[in-house]
Amino acid sequence: MAVLEVRQLNYVYAAKTPYEKHALKDVSLQVEQGEFVGVIGHTGSGKSTLVQHLNGLLRPTSGQILLNGKDIWEKPKEIRRVRFEVGMVFQYPEHQLFEETVRRDIAFGPRNMGLSDEEVERRVQKAATFAGLREELLDSSPFDLSGGQKRRVAIAGVMAMEPQVLVLDEPTAGLDPRGREQMLRQIERYRRENGTTVLLVSHSMEDVAAIADRVLVMNGGEAAMMAPTEEVFSRAEELEAMGLSVPAVTRIFMALRRRGYDVGDNVYTVEKAVERLMPLLKRGCRPC
Amino acid sequence: MLNDITIGQFFPGNSLIHRLDPRVKILLTIAYIAAVFVPVNWYGLGLAVLFLVTAVALSRLPVKLLWKSIKPILPIILFTALLNMFYVGGGTVLWEWGILKLTSKGLVNAAFLAVRIVCLIAGSSLLTYTTGPTTLTDALERLLGPLKVIRVPVHEIAMMMTIALRFIPTLVEETDKIMSAQKARGADMESGGLLQRIKALVPVLIPLFVSSFRRAYELAMAMECRCYHGGEGRTRMKQLHMGLRDAAAVAVMLLLFTAMILLNCWTAPVL
Repeated sequence: MAVLEVRQLNYVYAAKTPYEKHALKDVSLQVEQGEFVGVIGHTGSGKSTLVQHLNGLLRPTSGQILLNGKDIWEKPKEIRRVRFEVGMVFQYPEHQLFEETVRRDIAFGPRNMGLSDEEVERRVQKAATFAGLREELLDSSPFDLSGGQKRRVAIAGVMAMEPQVLVLDEPTAGLDPRGREQMLRQIERYRRENGTTVLLVSHSMEDVAAIADRVLVMNGGEAAMMAPTEEVFSRAEELEAMGLSVPAVTRIFMALRRRGYDVGDNVYTVEKAVERLMPLLKRGCRPC
Repeated sequence: MLNDITIGQFFPGNSLIHRLDPRVKILLTIAYIAAVFVPVNWYGLGLAVLFLVTAVALSRLPVKLLWKSIKPILPIILFTALLNMFYVGGGTVLWEWGILKLTSKGLVNAAFLAVRIVCLIAGSSLLTYTTGPTTLTDALERLLGPLKVIRVPVHEIAMMMTIALRFIPTLVEETDKIMSAQKARGADMESGGLLQRIKALVPVLIPLFVSSFRRAYELAMAMECRCYHGGEGRTRMKQLHMGLRDAAAVAVMLLLFTAMILLNCWTAPVL
């Protein structure tokens, strides 16, 4: 059974006003337990609106969201439970920190869950480790940290709720290349070790290509594609028509193929590119 | 949740009223507010209403919009009218109960007052509906210009007003975002007693303060990078020009005053 299922979801912003906007149109999708799904789409394609439905921050105009087969809006009063099961990290989450110490800030979510002090502390420790925060940082003020560290604190705050599904909206935006890579590695490790389902919203095709099992492509409020990563990036023309692109390395390989080099398709990570290029270089690098 | 708050009621348009010089508009609005208190009988007040109706028609604003600005004041109007109804004596007694006495004069007085207040509010909202907030502060700065002589920092006050107005929507958006983020971490803002709800706002208010300060620093830095040094010797991108249109508007207002005063002399007061 799919851990998360979206059925015929429609969402209209500011209904019945001149600013009315149909942000989501008949979106349906299924996410399996433990899967890593990348969500890509042009600005305004509805990807942020979609993910805010997954933990009940927005209520669908029509359609359903099923978590473990149960409609999350079945009992609107208990929507908070859903938020603990579907953890959501917003864009620039470092702006939500408010506590006196990092430890207490990370503990905010678990405390809201009504857990015991020991359990909260255990989760804080664990989440901090996964987010790459050193122990001695836990007792400093979150406002004294660097931007990258603040973001780690915010992400740890959501990880500490130990949700079944972790949704991250642009977690690498504004980080330097090393920070990006580290962040993605840590998210991937967290998923592997906890069996958490992860949805990653990103503008970076490289990030998504490197890490996602499947990719959801949003376009104009519709789910345009939902397919394994290689399949999505093999449809380069369609992606470009939606104002998206394929990873830079894929573009290079497409150009190489057009010039007659036998490099094969489905290259969307640098590792794979190296693997394909090495035999070619050994042969003397001529078009065949 | 917060997106139904409208601050700055500007309703864009290109009507005659929209195009009036904002300085003239402010002065005329003040004049109109004064004018509403001139008449002593229905003829004069009718004239004020007629003036307002014409102005609204010229502005091509939807009437619904004006109703929206009057609606929140309605309880106050009703309350004032009710007080006046029983407070003003004279005329024939229509209804009596204990110390409450409803007289014909009281009734007329209440109605008169209600119409006056409605005119007052509708007239002043016409200004804010047809003038953008930045234009408005710009005009205020010009009008208050003479105060510079007595060392009132007029330009700085106007700049602060402009910045404050500019950042209201930004802060509303920011609040919405932070609230969502804290709700995603299980913050409960919809239930509990008063104290609990106030406490629940702490995780929203602190990040909001922090980000406001950050924005303020960033803005100050950006302004300094562009060599902002206050109002001295500053030229404007949008020059305000008074034209024939504005002269005509002033003339109409003067006419209104004259007519009202003459009517007051020739016809009997209602009160």
